[in-house]
Amino acid sequence: MSRRITLQLAVVMLVVSGFIRTDVADAQARGGQAPAAPPTPRAQAPIDLTGNWVAIISEDWRWRMITPSRGDFPSIPMNMASQKIAEAWDPAKDEAAGEQCKAYGAPGLMRGPTRLRITWLDDDTLKLETDYGMQTRLFEFRAAPTGAPSLQGRSVAQWIFAGGGRGRGAARFGTLKSVTTNLKPGYLRKNGVPYSEKAVFTEYWDLHTETNGDKYIVVTNTVDDPTYLQAPWITSLHFKKEPDGSKWNPEPCDARF
Amino acid sequence: MTIRRAFILACGVVLAAAPASAQIDLTGSYQTRMYEDYIERGPGEFMGNYTGMPLTDEGRAKALLYTSNLPSTYERQCLPQSAGVFQYRPVGFRVWSENDANGNAVAWVIGGDNLRNDIRIYMDGRPHPSANALHLAGGFATGKWEGDTLTARLTHLKTAWIRRGVGIPASDDTVITLHMTRHDDLLTMTTIQEDPHYLSEPHVVSRVWQLNPRGTEFDRPTCNTANEIPSLEDTGGVPHYLPGQNPEEDYMVKMFNIPKEAAMGYAHTLYPEYRKTLKGKYKPPVDCVERGPGYCCGWIETQGRPGGAPNLTCNDGGFGVLGPRGRRQGATN
Repeated sequence: MSRRITLQLAVVMLVVSGFIRTDVADAQARGGQAPAAPPTPRAQAPIDLTGNWVAIISEDWRWRMITPSRGDFPSIPMNMASQKIAEAWDPAKDEAAGEQCKAYGAPGLMRGPTRLRITWLDDDTLKLETDYGMQTRLFEFRAAPTGAPSLQGRSVAQWIFAGGGRGRGAARFGTLKSVTTNLKPGYLRKNGVPYSEKAVFTEYWDLHTETNGDKYIVVTNTVDDPTYLQAPWITSLHFKKEPDGSKWNPEPCDARF
Repeated sequence: MTIRRAFILACGVVLAAAPASAQIDLTGSYQTRMYEDYIERGPGEFMGNYTGMPLTDEGRAKALLYTSNLPSTYERQCLPQSAGVFQYRPVGFRVWSENDANGNAVAWVIGGDNLRNDIRIYMDGRPHPSANALHLAGGFATGKWEGDTLTARLTHLKTAWIRRGVGIPASDDTVITLHMTRHDDLLTMTTIQEDPHYLSEPHVVSRVWQLNPRGTEFDRPTCNTANEIPSLEDTGGVPHYLPGQNPEEDYMVKMFNIPKEAAMGYAHTLYPEYRKTLKGKYKPPVDCVERGPGYCCGWIETQGRPGGAPNLTCNDGGFGVLGPRGRRQGATN
């Protein structure tokens, strides 16, 4: 290949790549003004998680749909300290202490029989509400000061952009990753399986759209708790999109059922 | 900058801008993590427990004919299981790609010991064959990348069980959509199974596996038959329950006090509003003290121990009749 042809080829490729990246170039060139502010997490979102979603309890039905008996806790890699606490579970004590929501902290809440309502609180914060226990979780894309430990803790969020879907008009893909810390102690399962204030709850949120238009959120999650778990508790959950909020039916926390 | 450097830079820019044909590498051995439905996937599910299933009346009726001795007969030991049965098994699997001469993936393959056939997901755009084409245990699957998720559609499956432990059937008209999504060393498999005969709505399951760098997940072994129920040999008998005669039909009601419609897999019992109908009515069974009564059932080696409710024993699919290891009570051979 002669030097001239090589040079021409390089120029052509750069021009082509320039067309592929015109969305960036357009944004930078508009108005010839100072560089625009970086896009907000809301504008960057590769997937749309907003809307009304319902949990399909097709797994662990006996432990998620109803409150199992005390001591009924297979599937969770509990240690002996955890088992001892769970076998002493007493919902009446929780009620008396005003802690009837202990099973509604983020790691336990998400496995509940719930509907989700997801909206953008602002450009940097995704809001998730549940009708089960009437809880609210906030996913923060920007750094914010950490407050006192709470039932839902602090969820730091980030988009993970997938490799495909580049170019103008192409479908966009990606994942929401959230890491929740600063949790008050709570229950992983309604019958008193504990997690501690050291628990770290990591979630990957994926969106799948079927050929018939059905949409599902699948959340792959891990609970790490050096106090009460022998190993990370790794599970996944799935929620189906609903056309509207007509089945939204809030109910407060219940320590027993 | 030399021309050569400019050329290399230009190539790099173009490659970075072009969509990749495979977004993420799925290759590897994956270890099951049985942190959901453990009893089903580990020791074995309670007979008559169809909770979480959206069954049609036909699917329910067929499941109630089943005893766990049925697949122990010679003729049925190597029957295919549903291509989605890995969601209910205690084992891992391997994933690899089959590439053409240029290194492009022609197919992604899921191999494991539970499928009888590998699941081969063709990525080269070939169409699905005629509905009358050969059906296999692994079916026929085509796939495409949706971002970092490999989405596959499986058809041409043989009649099989969705959950063999309790006999929940799938027909050869079943269609499974599979989403394989990897995050770091976790692989999430989501299956959405449709069956016009046995499922009243899509059956959705999501599970997580973890990459096992030691690669100890083995491929599908040869299925060999063996005499598992000596008392049935040469009798021509086929273990079954006749319609309306399955003694485990009310097992979950007696053991866990759950409504029969939930135990029998009616679709409306899968949604949050169903829970509200139970409020104030449901009474949990006695505590599982030190994993005693109420916990014993489902473990083969504990057959015959007392159950968790009065007059209930741990009778798993006919063992009470045939005895442990398929021997009739008092048999000498």
